[in-house]
Amino acid sequence: MSTDLPEPEVKAHYDVVIIGAGAGGISVANTLAEYGVNVVMFDESSRPGGQIYRNLETNASKLTRLLGRDYAAGKKILTTFRNFIDKGLIEYYPKAKVWYLNSDNEIGVSKSGLSYKIRAKKVVIATGCQERPMPISGWHLPGVMSLGAGQILLKSASILPKSTVLAGAGPLLWLLAYQYRRAGVKVEAIVDTAMPSPWWSTSIHLLKALVAGEYLFKGLYLMLNARFSDVPIHRSVTHLKAVGNQQFESVSFKCNGEHYQIRADTLLLHQGVIPGLHIAEAAGCRIQWHGPQQCWVPVVDKWGKSSQNHISIVGDVSGIEGAKSAALSGKTAGLRLARELRKISGVQLGRLSFLSRLSRRRHQAIRPLLNVVFRVPVTYLNPPDEVVVCRCEEVTAGTIRGITKQGCMGPNQAKAFTRCGMGPCQGRMCSSTVEQIMAHELNRSVADIGRYRARPPIKPITLGELASTFSSPES
Amino acid sequence: MALQALKTDINLNNNVYKPKFNSLVKKSFDTIVIGGGLVGSAVACGIARKGLSVAILDGGDRDYRASRGNFGLVWVQGKGADYAPYAKWSGLASKHYSLFEQGLKEATGINVGLSQNGGFDFCLTEEEWDERLVEMAAVSRHTHGEFKYQMLDYVELKQLMPPISDEVVGASYSPHDGHLNPLYLLRGLQNWTQSLGGVYLPETKAISIRALKRGFDISTSNAVYHSEKVVLCGGLDNQRLTRDLDMFIPIHSVRGQLLVSERVAPFLTHPSLQIRQTDEGSLQIGDSHEVVGLNDGTTLDVMAKMARRAVTIFPHLSSVKLNRAWGALRVMTPDGLPVYHHSEQHPGAFALSCHSGVSLAALHAGFIADWIVGEETHPLISDFSGDRFDVPIN
Repeated sequence: MSTDLPEPEVKAHYDVVIIGAGAGGISVANTLAEYGVNVVMFDESSRPGGQIYRNLETNASKLTRLLGRDYAAGKKILTTFRNFIDKGLIEYYPKAKVWYLNSDNEIGVSKSGLSYKIRAKKVVIATGCQERPMPISGWHLPGVMSLGAGQILLKSASILPKSTVLAGAGPLLWLLAYQYRRAGVKVEAIVDTAMPSPWWSTSIHLLKALVAGEYLFKGLYLMLNARFSDVPIHRSVTHLKAVGNQQFESVSFKCNGEHYQIRADTLLLHQGVIPGLHIAEAAGCRIQWHGPQQCWVPVVDKWGKSSQNHISIVGDVSGIEGAKSAALSGKTAGLRLARELRKISGVQLGRLSFLSRLSRRRHQAIRPLLNVVFRVPVTYLNPPDEVVVCRCEEVTAGTIRGITKQGCMGPNQAKAFTRCGMGPCQGRMCSSTVEQIMAHELNRSVADIGRYRARPPIKPITLGELASTFSSPES
Repeated sequence: MALQALKTDINLNNNVYKPKFNSLVKKSFDTIVIGGGLVGSAVACGIARKGLSVAILDGGDRDYRASRGNFGLVWVQGKGADYAPYAKWSGLASKHYSLFEQGLKEATGINVGLSQNGGFDFCLTEEEWDERLVEMAAVSRHTHGEFKYQMLDYVELKQLMPPISDEVVGASYSPHDGHLNPLYLLRGLQNWTQSLGGVYLPETKAISIRALKRGFDISTSNAVYHSEKVVLCGGLDNQRLTRDLDMFIPIHSVRGQLLVSERVAPFLTHPSLQIRQTDEGSLQIGDSHEVVGLNDGTTLDVMAKMARRAVTIFPHLSSVKLNRAWGALRVMTPDGLPVYHHSEQHPGAFALSCHSGVSLAALHAGFIADWIVGEETHPLISDFSGDRFDVPIN
């Protein structure tokens, strides 16, 4: 069958394949192109920029101004990236899904309805983060969205909700409140579920964070901005629920012993971001539990090298550090790969990467503070029995608890016994919750419970596309 | 009895014993089954149904588990073309299935979605069709005509199954074949065992087994257990486990890769060896065989090949989304037949190995359990003794 296919434009072999055109991936590509390495970049979107710089190339300057200075700051690396593409130094495929990567370094990428099998000497995973699922009662109702999805609406200049409630925890909550209000969306309330730690445990981290003062200023600015607006803010909220028949109607919660119910068009939920690890796990990269960030992260060294020698992991997928740190980790990893491909010397590597490594450490200094200030309370990780955990297969927390009591020893057995995690989202929306439920039920750590095994396809693909998979004779 | 002594220690509300490390008290049972897959759980369930105390020692969540990678066929056609007892045994299993499934449903409330309305095996070339004909005739001969089948050409098949493409040459059909949800079957068997007082011990890997004058001592990662009888159902680990009891059962792994699609409107009324539609609507595509040691991953080439075959048979599936793919390791003996072995040297030690954990489950919970507890022995069981691999040295 493969003989009927047109000659593919995608080649069978590359020196370096980069997956994801966000801040991290673009920095790797720019660095490698600078030293003459043959690099190919696959990205799902139609334009480069990832989540953080989504549509920055095309958005009108008014919208860009509205989104703030940090958004506009991405212009520089995007311009460099375009220059390298135009010079033919970077082969860039937008709307290309890398749907497969295994531990034998086979890469499956699908583009315009056809799938290709390729190989590379080095693979860079720069697929960014995902939002941590926030399983509350009613979170599957139409009208309830993730906060990230709400921000995508804004960045892609789509129709915005008329009135909204923002609920959850994390810096993004305050940023979007600011952006939405500037865009003219009525924010009915900010419902903050974070549980503040005692001041003395925060203050140690606060001192450390002073070296990255700009984050503190930005955070303070956003919070004060919300504080002095007419938006009601509810803090340390418990019993958060989305209420509605068929469709979201209102949000109910408890705050300082009082019960509240607020009506709105949409509810945007968010409790921080976690690395999107599917692809790294599928490739056999080792992962570990990161207690302070309450999520799994891949095991990487300071150069972004994973436990698989040919795979580097950069940006938020290697641990949540934000866009600036992602760009720096991308540059460091790019230099290291240039060294491995004999384009620069060891001395050059040390010299060229020195500043980015130092600067990245400064950006990392804010993280311990954020981890404490926006720590997700256990009740929103380990929800009550009636809450739907797996939205694809409609499995409740109670079902998972039930089989755990019967001796089910881990998430993979739970998946087999209940279909939890078998749907099209590949467990992205339930794995963190299932791990927490089982850990609490068995009185063990999440690190000990483990995770679902990552299964292909990493991105949706049809049987027809898979059947078309073109592999050139030499591979 | 032994179980009584345990009751204080084991949370018998749900029959899960949460082991503590360094436990010095030796727990004992009438029978210990090592391995909580489909074979071990079915046998344990059968033993528990006899009212005997039984424990399943199971491994961890990430162990090689053929039972979690199963295709879910209750299959007869083509089995035992070269060995008459296997043809008879498979036919018997199919016949006993519905009664067994009813019992499971009544006892646990778990519906495994059994459907036994016949199955197809598609042929894409004339040679395949001719070979299949010979195979089917042999199985029928071995069972003295009890095995019914039909060889269908393209025109006959198209009438029964309109969506097939004209690239299909034909198919074999047998009314004995069926399918079910293998994961619910495993869950059901474990539930049933527990509801009858059997004990399920997860994360309790058997490290070594010692034959005593009377019974066996089994050292595990948690504690030492004692039993009168021990049944080794450890899948690929049986090679290691049987060695401890001086048995010789050669086993190797054969990887199978599987694809599962999103849910689609029901169109496949019968299962086939290549593709089946589950009762909730998704399609399972399978039937690959590779000898790759202990690698249970996937490869692009095999996945693409399976997808190509599926869209060759049913072209309209080309727009259906793939949901998930995985690899699993079949437990294979040198002749591909089951092993039901009772040690002569250590009476009370049994070793069971087979790759048809779903198809034969009804017999494992029935005749095989009877045989282990010492009731009547079905005459076919001796045909599957492990002695056939006992090649004298030199």
